[in-house]
Amino acid sequence: MQGGESGLKTHKIISSENPLGGAIELIRQTFTSVRDKPVKRISFVAGLHGDELEGVYLCHLLIATLRQLKATRPQAFQGEVHVYPAVNPEALGSGTRLWPFFSMDMNRKMGEKTDPSLPAEFARSLVEDLQISSDIVVDFHASNLHLKELPQIRIIEEFDKKLIPLAALCNMNVVWVHPSAPVFESTLGYNLNRKKIPTLVVETGICLRIHQEYCEQIFQGMIHLLRQTGVLDLVDPLPKIKQPLLIHPKQVALVQAGHAGLFIGNAALGAHVQKGETLGTIVDALKGEVLETVTFPADGVLFTLREQPVTYQGAPLARIALKEIR
Amino acid sequence: MKETLLSIPTPFGDAITLCKNSWEGSKSKGNVLSIVSGLHGDQVNGIYISSLLTRFMDRVASGQEPDYKLKGRVQIFPIVNVPAAQSGSPLWSFDDLDFDLAFPGNDKGEAAERIARALFTHTSDSTHGVILKTADPLYEDAVHIQLADPDRPIRKMAESLGFAVARKLSDSTTFKLSLFGHWRENDFPCLMISAGKPKALDRALCDSIFTGLVNLMVQTGVLTTSKTKKEVEKLQVYPLNAEHAVMSSHAGLFLAEVEVGGFLQKGQKLGEMISIATGETLEEYSASVDGYLVSLRHYPVMFEKEMIATVLSDKKKGFWPF
Repeated sequence: MQGGESGLKTHKIISSENPLGGAIELIRQTFTSVRDKPVKRISFVAGLHGDELEGVYLCHLLIATLRQLKATRPQAFQGEVHVYPAVNPEALGSGTRLWPFFSMDMNRKMGEKTDPSLPAEFARSLVEDLQISSDIVVDFHASNLHLKELPQIRIIEEFDKKLIPLAALCNMNVVWVHPSAPVFESTLGYNLNRKKIPTLVVETGICLRIHQEYCEQIFQGMIHLLRQTGVLDLVDPLPKIKQPLLIHPKQVALVQAGHAGLFIGNAALGAHVQKGETLGTIVDALKGEVLETVTFPADGVLFTLREQPVTYQGAPLARIALKEIR
Repeated sequence: MKETLLSIPTPFGDAITLCKNSWEGSKSKGNVLSIVSGLHGDQVNGIYISSLLTRFMDRVASGQEPDYKLKGRVQIFPIVNVPAAQSGSPLWSFDDLDFDLAFPGNDKGEAAERIARALFTHTSDSTHGVILKTADPLYEDAVHIQLADPDRPIRKMAESLGFAVARKLSDSTTFKLSLFGHWRENDFPCLMISAGKPKALDRALCDSIFTGLVNLMVQTGVLTTSKTKKEVEKLQVYPLNAEHAVMSSHAGLFLAEVEVGGFLQKGQKLGEMISIATGETLEEYSASVDGYLVSLRHYPVMFEKEMIATVLSDKKKGFWPF
């Protein structure tokens, strides 16, 4: 562990020597509490997928702000804050979703007890460290290469009672409660929630980009969360935050491509859309033909929009938070 | 019969297809063997074995293999992950996703989900199933059988292959998403055969697996034969606690001195790690137990804390039943 004058303590959770020199390290940055027993301990995690950079930038904003606060108002820290800004450093360095050497998805290795691979070993170490250091966890994700997302928190139904009140504090546009599925069982969020550590999974923007406006919005939400949970005690008035749209599965309409081609979007993320309005077209670039004009199936808020134009039949183009339950 | 079960148009090139080769005998009802290869696009041994089986089954069906008669139905899915095979990658190339985590699929979903759904639908009424695979990337496996629940019908299938070793699979959080996991839920006897390494074809190994699969076809009743049944090697089944992993405690170049598929003695040298920068030996690795070397690092560049080898311990081996 390294402590600095900045009030930041750096912990190395696990490391692995690199055959070409140096080491891969999983780092936790800690801002300690002024209390012997912190009011609450909140952890922020980013970079499980190496191409999702919004969370990494959010961790930068949090660390910079908390360092300044620690230097000027140390008594504000009634609780403890841990930041894990880059938990999959190899993937982040190469800008890929997967840990490149192994082509493995670290967020599909959580809860693995016997997998001897290095990504699984790092995943186990991360879960163990979060378990001993956290009362609440926020796991930052951006979307994949294909879709762009409004700032949102996704909650698996079985955890909704604990998580919805916390999610409402985070200045999000959308809180989406969805059913569980086997694919979630190997993720960080699912495994921590199963271990009774409330974990919010944030999705925002798109991978390989930083949407500063969304990050600023979420950053304000995270400071709000730290204050409302008593981790930070500040006298300044609490800023107003967004009241998120709380949506359940029947309130989400998925629009999919009917053809393979190039999707040319004609709508803005976050817009209030109406049934029958044009979402975009799918064109055949080889023949110069329009294959399909895609329209919105219902009124609602456009909270997911396709950004990657290359589209196969069945690919998601948009999600709408419906005004009326179907 | 060669069928294209599903053809999904692509924006710029050929359609992505799911193809099936099948042969139907006189008593095919209630006796269907499904064989799947190419779940990962770089596992070419399985793809080659499927081609050997297809040629053999065509000969059986046309009477050119007089020692064999087709009774049940055999269906072979030779390459189920076409985009990965075309790019020489283990993963579905459009989004780097593991196709074997896409089951049971979705017939209204994305291309990978549709293929997964079609494959699962066309195999879910099987009475027996076999998945052909190789070691994970960076490793080489000795030919062995992988099982989930070793009940009697699976035991009989496994024994008919004539291989020496079977491993019980560990529970994994992703098992439920795999084709094999869904076959197990459908409750028909199934197993996986792992052999060799990705991106490489071992013809001798494939020939031996082909022979084993023909024996399995006879055992499951989809084929009958006039040939005398040969004695096969006794199968040893290793439970999870018989597996001993040898881990690297240094990073560098691993130089192996053994080959997979042999029995090792405790203390026998497996190889050594040398420094890339200086060439000096950083550490020597040896077997911690007497046992069978089922898996060995093939790609030499290694990080610290990686698995070098898996040895199945003779002392803890399990015979049927566990």
